Amino acid sequence: MKSKTKRKKRIIAVVIGFLTIFSQASCKPSRSSNRIIVASAGKVKSLDPAQANTLKTLQLISALGDTLYRLKPNGDLEPRLAKSLPEISNNGLTITIPLRENVLFHDGTKFDSKAMEFSIKRFMKIGTLNYVINGRISKIETPSPFVLRLILNRPSSSIKGLLTSINLTPLSPSAYKNYQDKFLNKRFIGTGPYQLNNFQTDKQRLIPFKYYWGKKTENPGIDYIHFTNSTTLFGSIRTKEVDVLLSTSMEDIQILALNKLAKKGKLVEGEGPAMEIGYITFRSNTSPLNNKKVRESLSYSLNRSLISKNVSFGLREPLLAIIPPSLKKNDNPRWPKYNPQKAKKLLLKEGYCNNKKLTIDLTFRSNVPADKLLAITWQQQINRDISDCISLNLKGVESTTVYKQLGEGAYEAVMLDWTGAYPDPEAYLAPLLSCKKIINDICEEGEAVLSGSFWASSKLQNALIQSEKLFDDNRLEKLNEVELYAANGGAYLPVWLVKPRAWAQTNFAKPEFDGSGLMLLDRLKRLNQ
Amino acid sequence: MSRWKELIRYSGTRLALAPLMLWIISSLVFLLLRVAPGDPVDAILGNRADLEARELLRIKLGLNLPIWNQYLKFLNDLIHGNLGYSLNNEEPVKDIILQALPASLELGCCALLIAIFIGFLIGFSSILKPEGKSDLAARLYGITTYALPPFWAAMLLQIFFAVILGWLPIGGRFPPSMISPEGSGFFLLDSIMNKDWAAFQGSIRHLLLPSCTLGLLLSGVFSRALRVNLERTLDTDFIEAARSRGLKESQVLIRHALPNALLPVLTITGLTIASLIGGALLIEVTFSWPGIALRLQEAINQRDYPIVQGIIVIIASLVVIISLIIDIIISTIDPRVRY
Repeated sequence: MKSKTKRKKRIIAVVIGFLTIFSQASCKPSRSSNRIIVASAGKVKSLDPAQANTLKTLQLISALGDTLYRLKPNGDLEPRLAKSLPEISNNGLTITIPLRENVLFHDGTKFDSKAMEFSIKRFMKIGTLNYVINGRISKIETPSPFVLRLILNRPSSSIKGLLTSINLTPLSPSAYKNYQDKFLNKRFIGTGPYQLNNFQTDKQRLIPFKYYWGKKTENPGIDYIHFTNSTTLFGSIRTKEVDVLLSTSMEDIQILALNKLAKKGKLVEGEGPAMEIGYITFRSNTSPLNNKKVRESLSYSLNRSLISKNVSFGLREPLLAIIPPSLKKNDNPRWPKYNPQKAKKLLLKEGYCNNKKLTIDLTFRSNVPADKLLAITWQQQINRDISDCISLNLKGVESTTVYKQLGEGAYEAVMLDWTGAYPDPEAYLAPLLSCKKIINDICEEGEAVLSGSFWASSKLQNALIQSEKLFDDNRLEKLNEVELYAANGGAYLPVWLVKPRAWAQTNFAKPEFDGSGLMLLDRLKRLNQ
Repeated sequence: MSRWKELIRYSGTRLALAPLMLWIISSLVFLLLRVAPGDPVDAILGNRADLEARELLRIKLGLNLPIWNQYLKFLNDLIHGNLGYSLNNEEPVKDIILQALPASLELGCCALLIAIFIGFLIGFSSILKPEGKSDLAARLYGITTYALPPFWAAMLLQIFFAVILGWLPIGGRFPPSMISPEGSGFFLLDSIMNKDWAAFQGSIRHLLLPSCTLGLLLSGVFSRALRVNLERTLDTDFIEAARSRGLKESQVLIRHALPNALLPVLTITGLTIASLIGGALLIEVTFSWPGIALRLQEAINQRDYPIVQGIIVIIASLVVIISLIIDIIISTIDPRVRY
């Protein structure tokens, strides 16, 4: 009896010991400053704009540097380091940009046209995404310290959008003197509202730049941290460990939970313009998807509303176009709406149904949960609606493998997503549709091959080329025409649109975004400050 | 030959064979990475870069060379202690490993200490009354912790201790509002060396949940191993002899049975340490712990060949060294062991 009591006492002592350790550890150290803690998924491995290609890196560089122009939420171009909008010559080959004076880099040197020339040339030379310039700029001139002139190889109205690209953020030539042909990963000397105080791959500290030319930051600095998974991100805002959370790479169910909390007033939610599209590519150079009517029938068979509801609880908006709505004035649907009867009628005409099923292999990226859910939902929805006509075989493949094999024509139908390299309709159309060599509506060489569709149209190519010579509304109209050709071709099937979101604790102002979907870190503000 | 000479000869042979083993492992990794689908150029540029840009990057990264040349260059660099540069951001692989390895070692060591403490406590108490209630409970504990999926257990503990109770941070290695201490990369050690007690407290708070999760999951193995070996040892003749001499049961257990039962447990500990270094991936991912396993996973996803190769070579080297140390310790403790 005594030994039992002793054992019990020992167990109780051990449990008390553990709880004491945990409770002692739970004494949270008080915050040493008023800096705002912002969290997002993943890591920032390099702060060099020449190799920035992930959203989290672009987000950070956008606070440390300025671009020549920025896209406003209403889609208009806002001059930043440029003094006014670019002047384009009559032949469309010369672009003159007047630059802002009295701008200082973080190292105290002056920003001028030479610095801009240095930064653009550096990106053209070593930039990992330098192909977006695509041989458009033939020469950069600096006629005066505050005038920059770009000489183009061919008229290119999309260059305006390109000038908002974070990749072209100007860098201090003196600080990057030894890094003209190599990357500088852990430092950043730009002109932005913040300067870098400390860099680690999973945490960066930004402090306000004292001599910033523009509006001062609304906060005393930012601690930008990165977590590897969605659950930790979700928990970090719930436990108030972080002040602001970005939705990038978070799972839909957790986005929904945060959205609900915001609706209840327990968080403040801000949302930016949708820049990421989700779509399905059909390999259009082999049977059965080389048949336009078959592709069209698949378009009719997709119930986007159901998929949006089942996969993302309605948070991903159904999409019937390739160009995100915020980048165009006309928001008319381009792709056919859900109509299983019409899909069946088309397939009957092509000899399917009645014991002959159209069987399609649908590949999804196994490491993207939403893709898998979409594939399963579409498969089940087709089984419910027109199981006698279509059958989908699902295949999960890791994304790196998908990208490698896409241009080799390995996938009959594959679910992908796309965010333009800069906020312009052309950055959505050209990478999917442009083609250098067309034979019988099949693309032999060009972006359409790399996209895995192999589909091309001479009319579409001509419209795309013509759009480069047009400006403003005429250009948008031409690009709408391109999109219409793409919809008629049916080689791509837009599915949904993803909006960037951010949540802040209730003592913060609503997070704001710019027109390219990046959160404005300098506008984050504590309400009781 | 004397025991010590035997041991020195054995250790020498193991050390001499280590380069051969590392060569085989690194060659296999080199080949497997290149056979696996996916391309580092795609991972860096995306699949939409034009052919010219892709080719230029391929040349820059040396991926245009025949695979045989790439292999020879890799071996030459490895022999000279050069692990290469990341294909993604051109950072030396050595620096990347030096940043990530201390995090994993810190987590692994703490988890192991917790596992040994809890495992031994449970294993030892269960043998006091074999087949009793506490023994059954200990068995159940051992099986449950062994069978629990680490990510699931980690998430439950995260939700309970971080979200519901709010006692501990949900993830990361250091408080977001503080700058981590400079030094060796072992934050606990560095904060003690710098006498930065706020940093020490911050490090402990962040370390507690992941190390306890990993420790609890591993403790089942130790408790089971200790119990089984103690039971076996208690049935041996020399224990009977000790009892017949009138020694107290506690003396028999602690002085005579335990040291003998610990030998197989020590082997298990060695194997666990080896697997902990690279095997705590799910824990590192769940708790956003910036360790070597997490870095390896990222590098595999990005097809960053030099990082993958470098990390595997380092992990393999550590496994060789640790298993050798364990062999030496066992041989020192147990005079019956011969090599």
